[in-house]
Amino acid sequence: MSTKSPVTPRYGPAFSLTSPNSHPPHPHHYTKDSYSKDSSFLNASNSCSIKNSLSDYSTADYSSFSIKSDFSKPKSLFKSPKKPQSVIDSTPSILQLNVVTNDWSSKTNISNNNSQLSPKKKKAVTDRFIPKVVGVTKLDERPETRDTSSDPRESLASSDTAVKKPSNSSRETLRSSHDREIADACGISLSHRILEFQPAPPSRTHDLRSVYNRPVKPSVAAVNRRKVPTCPERVLDAPGILDDYYLNLLDWSCGNQVAVALEKAVYVWNAETGSVGELLESRDYISSVKWSCDGAYLSVGLGSGEVQIWDVEEQTKLRSMFGQTSRVGVTCWDRHILSSGSRDGHIFNHDVRIAQHKVSEMNHHQGEVCGLDWRSDSSQLASGGNDNTVCIWDARSTVPKFTKTNHKAAVKAVAWCPWQMNLLATGGGTYDKYIHFWNTTTGARVNSIDTGSQVTSIKWSQHYKELVSTHGFPNNNLSIWSYPSCTKIVDVVAHDSRVLHATLSPDGQTLATCASDENLKFWKIFESTKKSAGKEGVIQSKEISTVGIR
Amino acid sequence: MNKAPTRDRLSIRGSSKTVAEFFEYSINTILYQRGIYPADDFQQVKKYGINVLVTVDSEVKAYIRKIMGQLHKWLVGGKIQKLIVAITSKESGEVVERWQFDIHISGKDTDTASKETDTKTNGDKKSDDQIQQEIQAIMRQITASVSFLPVLEDECTFNVLVYAEQDAPVPPEWADSANREIKNPEQVQLRSFSTNEHKIDTLVAYKLDR
Repeated sequence: MSTKSPVTPRYGPAFSLTSPNSHPPHPHHYTKDSYSKDSSFLNASNSCSIKNSLSDYSTADYSSFSIKSDFSKPKSLFKSPKKPQSVIDSTPSILQLNVVTNDWSSKTNISNNNSQLSPKKKKAVTDRFIPKVVGVTKLDERPETRDTSSDPRESLASSDTAVKKPSNSSRETLRSSHDREIADACGISLSHRILEFQPAPPSRTHDLRSVYNRPVKPSVAAVNRRKVPTCPERVLDAPGILDDYYLNLLDWSCGNQVAVALEKAVYVWNAETGSVGELLESRDYISSVKWSCDGAYLSVGLGSGEVQIWDVEEQTKLRSMFGQTSRVGVTCWDRHILSSGSRDGHIFNHDVRIAQHKVSEMNHHQGEVCGLDWRSDSSQLASGGNDNTVCIWDARSTVPKFTKTNHKAAVKAVAWCPWQMNLLATGGGTYDKYIHFWNTTTGARVNSIDTGSQVTSIKWSQHYKELVSTHGFPNNNLSIWSYPSCTKIVDVVAHDSRVLHATLSPDGQTLATCASDENLKFWKIFESTKKSAGKEGVIQSKEISTVGIR
Repeated sequence: MNKAPTRDRLSIRGSSKTVAEFFEYSINTILYQRGIYPADDFQQVKKYGINVLVTVDSEVKAYIRKIMGQLHKWLVGGKIQKLIVAITSKESGEVVERWQFDIHISGKDTDTASKETDTKTNGDKKSDDQIQQEIQAIMRQITASVSFLPVLEDECTFNVLVYAEQDAPVPPEWADSANREIKNPEQVQLRSFSTNEHKIDTLVAYKLDR
């Protein structure tokens, strides 16, 4: 018996022996563990293997088992026992004969040895089979398509050498015909198996970050954001400064001197030395001050309509120019030309070198002129007035090139862009709150910012693509904007009351603001990263030309 | 005569490559046209003389690649009869659309259809250009099929099935499955194309809206 055990597992799977009808006649007394080997052995059909095995087994036993194995599948496949039983009942005698003869014919000579088979072995197939068999058939309760593939695997797993499938032709046809029957009943084709690629396809991704995590503002703002000091560098007193929106009482010269008009007097503060001196005191109140381009002279507009020119170094008045009949709220230099805007809406150009100083008169504004600025190439003059209009004048003409009526309040803040010649920024008053940007070549409005507050002045930075605007109620703040994105970089709360005037230092880094809270504050808001900028700025800031004043 | 088997071997490989490539592009086209994946995930490439959209999502790409690798092996061995792309609703798990590609292998199949192509191809071997033209026509049809296929309202996913021979080697990723057929489907036969070794029929079945 010991020689047999390594051989037996070769022969096919153990799905045999289901029908109690075909039990062998001889009772066997196999032990449980020896049985399992034999049951798989019993299904064998390979002739050569049978030769080996038959040396120990009776042929009768063997043949009866192998028949049963053929009918084991129906039993396992169909839950109802009726069908397989009927099949078996109808055919067993023929089949048994068939198989028996086959088996006998292939190995008659060996069968003699069967008598030597121990009686013990013969008892293998008894009632004990049944529970075991039930266990085995469970394996077969899988789809038909699986069986053929699983057969060789099972046999291979339990054997030491490769094994062929049953080669007995009659049994083969029997099996296939039977399989076909089953397959038909189940609606399964035997010629193929349906395979599915098991891994689930990747699900479509909803990247929520792309939906919800968009930056709210353009990222330009973040890039351009730079540190701006929110504290003034220096605070000076400006007692008695007139709280009048339409006046221009503060200016910083290219010679680094700050002129401020306090009621009837003009004071000059030297930014380098810190010394301060009174330049003049007049009978009338002073409505505007403006340094000439070379920083040597100061124009002073008075409430009476008189315009004076002062030599600051000598502290003497050079001349008085009459002509305006109401207060001169704003003056602006272009080399030897001084432009003055008056309360009744007239703009005069005075050539300061000649006796008949009034060279042209530009009448268009219906209200007080409070903003004036010459373009750096002297070809255009921009003016803003209390009639809510902005006028752009050609230097050679006395009719405005463009008149803009977009603002809804007085336009005091007027500033030309230093890096783009034809770009003008204007800011409106309390009811307007807008900064508009104009292309002065075409007259088109190119951009607008709603500042949320009255705009009292606008200054462009010389170092950054930025501008600063000063405001009144409610925050009395400075706002720094980047251009052309028009995003706010920072708000600096500057004063206790509305910021009246603002002016940039010659190096372009510091802004001086003056408010009706009687403070003059200096803000280093455009601090240059370039080391040399500080010195060069003084010279670069304005074209220096000698102005001969008679 | 001695040369013939070598050439056959080679032509089977070449043909299998053509067929596998066709499957890859048609699956991509189906995924795009039927909106299985968002349109942003696809990119246009020039193929078969037309613009074909292929996925750029690395996961989907790898998934299709994996299927195609095995498919090519089976094709070379002549082990598969059908390729199915089943589009199933994610919510109900129901198959709503079923793209079927029948693979006939010239000489092996006894189908009349394949015999036809057999005789045809034996006379004059098909040029690559002809094959490309035929594939192009199918790709156009797949694209055009959007016009009659019902709109897929649920979010859908897809499965790839293969009808393989009994003795085909099966890698562990592939397992037996039901045929995933649609009950009472509407079927539309699309064009076919054939190489010298294979003939591919295309058919789309879909659930009728009621």
